[in-house]
Amino acid sequence: MTIQLQQVLPEYFEKSRSERSEVWGKDLQFNKGEYIKIVAPSGSGKSSLMHFLYGLRKEYNGHIIIGGKNTKQCGAEEFATLRKDVLSIVFQDLRLFPEQTVRQNIELKRQLNPFHPPEKIDEMAERLGIKNKLESRSRICSYGEQQRVAIIRALMQPFDFLLLDEPFSHLDDNNSQKAMDLMLEEAKARHAAIIFADLERIDWFPYNRLFHL
Amino acid sequence: MAVSFSPIRPLIQTGSNASSRWFSYIGLGIGVLLLLCSIQMYVNIQQLLGEKEMQKGGFEFIPISKVITNETMGNLEKNLFDQEDISELKSQPFVEDAAPLLANNFKFQLSGGSLIPFMTDFFIESLDNAFIDTVPPSFTWSEGQLTVPVIISSEFLELYNIFAPGYGLPQISEETAYRIQLTFTCYGNDGSRESFRAHVVAFSDRVNSILAPKTFLDWANQRFSPGMELRPSRVYVKVKDANDPEFLKYLEAKNYRVNKDKTQFGRRKMVLQGIFAGLGIFGLMVVVLALMLFSFYLQLMIARSRDSLQLLLALGYSPRWLGNNVSKRFIPIYFGVVLGALAVTQLMQYAFHHFVMYDRSELDTPVHWTVIATAVLLIVISLLTNFRLVRKLLSQLEP
Repeated sequence: MTIQLQQVLPEYFEKSRSERSEVWGKDLQFNKGEYIKIVAPSGSGKSSLMHFLYGLRKEYNGHIIIGGKNTKQCGAEEFATLRKDVLSIVFQDLRLFPEQTVRQNIELKRQLNPFHPPEKIDEMAERLGIKNKLESRSRICSYGEQQRVAIIRALMQPFDFLLLDEPFSHLDDNNSQKAMDLMLEEAKARHAAIIFADLERIDWFPYNRLFHL
Repeated sequence: MAVSFSPIRPLIQTGSNASSRWFSYIGLGIGVLLLLCSIQMYVNIQQLLGEKEMQKGGFEFIPISKVITNETMGNLEKNLFDQEDISELKSQPFVEDAAPLLANNFKFQLSGGSLIPFMTDFFIESLDNAFIDTVPPSFTWSEGQLTVPVIISSEFLELYNIFAPGYGLPQISEETAYRIQLTFTCYGNDGSRESFRAHVVAFSDRVNSILAPKTFLDWANQRFSPGMELRPSRVYVKVKDANDPEFLKYLEAKNYRVNKDKTQFGRRKMVLQGIFAGLGIFGLMVVVLALMLFSFYLQLMIARSRDSLQLLLALGYSPRWLGNNVSKRFIPIYFGVVLGALAVTQLMQYAFHHFVMYDRSELDTPVHWTVIATAVLLIVISLLTNFRLVRKLLSQLEP
């Protein structure tokens, strides 16, 4: 399973952006098992890239090929399958159901295509220090807690690529490191790739490839 | 994929506009009830009024003539049938056959024998044998034969027996009538005159006339009034159902007159069927309105749950699976509404048959199969439109 980027450039970016970027307007291939770090200052299109890869938006020129299939030609059903089996994501804006409990939020993702049994939710919550929040509504959790919920949720399914969009923006270094360790373990268990986009380099992500957006 | 919908159910907001949902259910129920009752009543009318001709079996023979108005009076062209009229009649799908009733075209006198001494100017007609109800083998005539067999309307005998005593004439029975010697006297345009003996060979309940064999009248018309075109003023039509609304409409359009008594059932049937067809259409409109109201409710529901549904799609839930599960919730409601309406229709049919029609054998207490078929069709249509709408709305949510 690979992801290929062919001359991808957001429609709302001027052409010259591709001259400075190592991603926009280039031909790239991400393979299973790779740890890819994308460093991007604010406004350079980090979330756009993640949304393009995840199929939430299609306002770009060029092509994104996932597993040999051009995603511009994928319908809603095909993307649903990709998001269930191949791609997992931690959104920058977290995207939890505010009225559901933490456990319900995670379970909603887990039941779709279970990679782990339900007990794994407790185990991961314990590791990331939010076990006592499992039965709380997610809207009353702090941003840091919500971010950890979003991370655990992303690890409940099988995937070949884990997309991380500033996953530690609300976490201190200690909690970030714990979360990173968990994600690395889970990626390893699936022999999956991690595509990690953040504002700056983070020392505890052992990337193989680094790109500046 | 054994994905459970139960954790998703609370994410879809339905509660806050329950009144509009209930209005649409009630509207749907009323519309379906109106539609089903109209169909059942339509069938009832068909069974009640269609029974008459079924008892008789076979065909009905009906004389028709053109309506004579003040404008067409004296205008034979307009009041008589021509060959074209007859061919057109024959070509109608509801007409099996048509035959003209041809009359004498010359002066004709009828006189009784010694038993009933009278003489009167009269008329004589002929009709295709296939259209006469009673044709004995003796009803034939060939040139040179001095005796003419005739078939008389049984009503004529009845009428005679009513006025005979007043004129000092004897009343006569059918048997006697067969033995009476009548005399036909035909007067030609050229002053010639010829007499024939005639006797009654049969009485007809159907044809209101004095009928001679066709061969005789054709010969006599040719002999006493040569060269004159013969056009009938009456035509007998053979139809399956004299009450067929299509047939009645045709007669009306052509301005043909027909014995109202023979077709009154048909006229009543037309009016009643019209009323129930109108009610049925009204019911259908209510059903459509209710479905529209329900679709507004669905749109509102999906708009309210937009954020949740979008996030579910973003998490990887299939739009088809979500759509099917959202729609499935309404299956019991549609079934309940339509089956409820069907049950009320059944109850009304029972009441109609039992209390209004006193269990007449032409009607059935269970509703007609078309009513059940319509109910099933309505369920299928409502579910299909519902499924399609939800799927369409969900596909619009996709970013």
